[in-house]
Amino acid sequence: MAELWTGYMLPTVIIVAQIIAIVVPLLFSVAYLTYAERKVLAGMQLRKGPNVVGPFGLLQPMADGIKLLFKETVIPSGANKVVFIAAPVVTFLLGLIGWAVIPFDDGMVLADINVGILYLFAVSSLGVYGVIMAGWASNSKYAFLGALRSAAQMVSYEISIGFVIVTVLLCVGSLNLTEIVRAQKDLWFAVPLLPMFVVFFVSGLAETNRTPFDLPEAEAELVAGFNVEYSSMPFALFYLGEYANMILMSAMTTILFLGGWLPPIDVAPFNWIPGPIWFAAKIAMVLFVFLWVRATFPRYRYDQLMRLGWKVFLPLSLFWVFLTAGVLVATGWVPK
Amino acid sequence: MIVQALAFYMFATVAIAAGVMVISARNPVHSVFFLIAAFFNAAGLFVLLGAEFLAMILVIVYVGAVAVLFLFVVMMLDINFVELRQGFLQYLPIGGLIGVILLVELLFIFASWTVAPDAGAVAAAPMSALGEISNTRMFGRLLYTKYIYYFQAAGLVLLVAMIGAIVLTLRTRKGVRRQKVPDQLRRTRAESVEIKKVETGKGI
Amino acid sequence: MLSWDFLALQPALPEVFLALSTMVLLMLGVFRGDGHTRIISWFAVLVLGLTLLLVLDDLGGTKRAFGDIFIVDAFAQFMKVLVLIGSSFAVVMSLGYIEREKIARFEYPILFLFATLGMMMMISANDLISLYLGLELQSLSLYVIAAFRRDSTRSTEAGLKYFVLGALSSGMLLYGASMVYGFAGTTGFDRLAAVLDAGAVPVGLIVGLVFVIAGLAFKVAAVPFHMWTPDVYEGAPTPVTAFFAVAPKVAAMALFVRVMIDPFGALIGQWQQIIVFISIASMVLAAFAAINQTNIKRLMAYSSIGHVGYMLIGLAAGTQEGISGLIIYLTIYVFMTVGTFACILCMRSHGRMLEGIDDLAGLGKTNPPMAAVLTAFMFSLTGIPPVAGFFGKFFIFRAAINAEMYTLAVIGVLSSVVAAFYYMRIVKIMYFDEPAERFDRPIGREMTLILVGTGLFIVFFFPFIAPLLEGADAAASSLFVG
Repeated sequence: MAELWTGYMLPTVIIVAQIIAIVVPLLFSVAYLTYAERKVLAGMQLRKGPNVVGPFGLLQPMADGIKLLFKETVIPSGANKVVFIAAPVVTFLLGLIGWAVIPFDDGMVLADINVGILYLFAVSSLGVYGVIMAGWASNSKYAFLGALRSAAQMVSYEISIGFVIVTVLLCVGSLNLTEIVRAQKDLWFAVPLLPMFVVFFVSGLAETNRTPFDLPEAEAELVAGFNVEYSSMPFALFYLGEYANMILMSAMTTILFLGGWLPPIDVAPFNWIPGPIWFAAKIAMVLFVFLWVRATFPRYRYDQLMRLGWKVFLPLSLFWVFLTAGVLVATGWVPK
Repeated sequence: MIVQALAFYMFATVAIAAGVMVISARNPVHSVFFLIAAFFNAAGLFVLLGAEFLAMILVIVYVGAVAVLFLFVVMMLDINFVELRQGFLQYLPIGGLIGVILLVELLFIFASWTVAPDAGAVAAAPMSALGEISNTRMFGRLLYTKYIYYFQAAGLVLLVAMIGAIVLTLRTRKGVRRQKVPDQLRRTRAESVEIKKVETGKGI
Repeated sequence: MLSWDFLALQPALPEVFLALSTMVLLMLGVFRGDGHTRIISWFAVLVLGLTLLLVLDDLGGTKRAFGDIFIVDAFAQFMKVLVLIGSSFAVVMSLGYIEREKIARFEYPILFLFATLGMMMMISANDLISLYLGLELQSLSLYVIAAFRRDSTRSTEAGLKYFVLGALSSGMLLYGASMVYGFAGTTGFDRLAAVLDAGAVPVGLIVGLVFVIAGLAFKVAAVPFHMWTPDVYEGAPTPVTAFFAVAPKVAAMALFVRVMIDPFGALIGQWQQIIVFISIASMVLAAFAAINQTNIKRLMAYSSIGHVGYMLIGLAAGTQEGISGLIIYLTIYVFMTVGTFACILCMRSHGRMLEGIDDLAGLGKTNPPMAAVLTAFMFSLTGIPPVAGFFGKFFIFRAAINAEMYTLAVIGVLSSVVAAFYYMRIVKIMYFDEPAERFDRPIGREMTLILVGTGLFIVFFFPFIAPLLEGADAAASSLFVG
């Protein structure tokens, strides 16, 4: 029995505890990201934003959550029930499982796997399923159009994300996320790979269906796109999933280009602050840019979106893969 | 070891069950979902084998891209299942017979299975260095040295596939106004804006 | 670190050159557009010519590259020369056609080049995986070329039919190859041969071999797997059909021979029966099925099936003499088929392609030179003594008799008598029927050149016999030594 306890039960308990330690703050951040979004947008548009529920409106996300929880779940009669319910669950789950490999500090990671970056890439590329399933299962034209747009959009931008990841990998020589961050000890990759950083960030906007690439849920054309038939908790799951994905994408940007948990420069006042705080601060900064973009840019037209993905980003990122590889080989900086 | 064995049987069972469901599901969209489930479980089996790179690539390429396009196409097609079923029943005896014959043949073959003397040595050869370096690195080393010919040849095959797809489908339609970005960027204020002084009550 | 000896590229130089220059031409086409198809086509011919020179540059001896998965020997070189000649003819013949039919897009010669590259890789394959990759590169290009006239229902149907059945046969080949791997533990031809020479042969390996043979028989269009041939030949654009009838057939036949002789040579007792059956079935079915055809492209399809049957006699014999005969037959077949298709390409009236056999009526009066050349080709396809076709059949039958396969030889002779009926019918229609429509003239300088060249080769074959025999013997012996 003792062996069963130490060999199987205890590790399981520890892992569950770790998962909870990651998921709870994450959900909390998701809730307050929605609040932040409304406040930031309000600020940029010279409005006040939520300010009634609680001090400064701080309890607004809670109120929204409770409201959605108590609404009736409406399933359209023509819908494919299993898929209809599965879709938001998939979206929400994918927003969470990516965090399994994110290093918050050196060694502070749930699963330190060899191919962490590929895992993250896989998870982000699966995000499209939630949208397609929702669009198809709703049995509604608007939802279906939104789903089709999203499928084409996400598949297109994944390719350039893949190439950007390859450029970073060339400079690191490992697929492990901790290694990727360690490689940026002296210089964040955002500096030498600046164009790739921009491409990655913009593709990230497209991958998370954020403005200016939020065509799948374009309210002006498609009412609300793929989630038009959703209400109550399933809708809340979509909403949470979308914001969790945003945070995940920001975390990915931070790890790949902004040095993860590392301080900007490794000198006195900066390296007193612990890694996780730096990490959170950087994520918050990237998220702010997400919101800033939303407040600033109008939505892209669909053909322009495709043109940007295939005719601008793809050749550019491909060229940078070659350039990076060439420079590394020519200068002998290839990582061992 | 028990956990590994359990995981193996779980992945293997679900993969096979999903595979069966792919061909027996009534709705083709459900078939694609089961196909995705099968891919996932295959990836799980790869992880158990210690081939985590292959597992992730399987998920990224097949689930993240190929199956999305499958789903895309299947959702757009309007397939009449009643008709399909009729054909199915009609050909069931013949198909079943062929299947049974193939199965018997396979059993016959495997009953007399003798592994060639060289097989063990060949299978073990490329794995020798696996313990020391990650399998991603090992893949790279093999793929770009020993198997470079296969790698390049497969690349050529894909290139031809791409050319073929473009040749057979790309049409430049006439009478469509296309966006010309350089032209748009070249426009200047001088040639597109004109300020006119309009007298009150006259109009232009 | 692993050593870099795997990258001994020297033997694969022609392939590397062809691949790189094809990609350069592709870039040229992409950036310059469809208006430059003619230039790109001529460049393609130039590239094929240079590749031919590279192949001939390094004659003699057996060389391997990429760690034994790529082999260059006299047999491979001989076959590559044939493939390159066939492809160049096909590209040249296409020049006028694609422009007249308004399908002149720059991808056309590019796909020909890729197909040719695939064929060269097939010929040099010394491993089941490199075999499969070469085969796929070739087939994929051919599927697309077959459907190149995408606005024509028949062409797209041809492409689709070819694709579906081709994919099926590739599947069978792969299934067989994986079984062979499973039971022999290796995919390399050299090691396979070593394993099989060592003794005991598992049943699974034989079953795998049968699947491999089925896949290869599909690629050469031998009888139980020939169903696609007439439809594809009829539907594809005519110069493409000419290409199909020549280059892929040479490559697939070369591959067939190498796979049977090299790795599975020790199993000759097992596969000989199958090849004999395929050979007889091809000869007989082609002879009788062709009689009722009214479309000359369909007729040529059955004719090519029949010729494959004759070539397989040489393989069935399994001797060096048999393979040598096969090589000679293949060489002659390439030239006479190219010539015949050049004639078919000249069958156009008022700017429209004609494909009916009846459309040839009275050609002897309206266009005597072309009728004479076509008659020579028909005599050669039949195998009537003074012209080349006779010698091909002669060497094949001699090999069969020396290998004591009398039934095979007798059936071969009888079926060529039947085949003579439909070839001679064409001659009769040309000279003794009332003239039909006149064909458009002039036929173009390239066509004249091809017709005269192949015609002269076929009619005045005597001086070529000795060198061809010598080359074929060298090629065949390189298979049996190595």
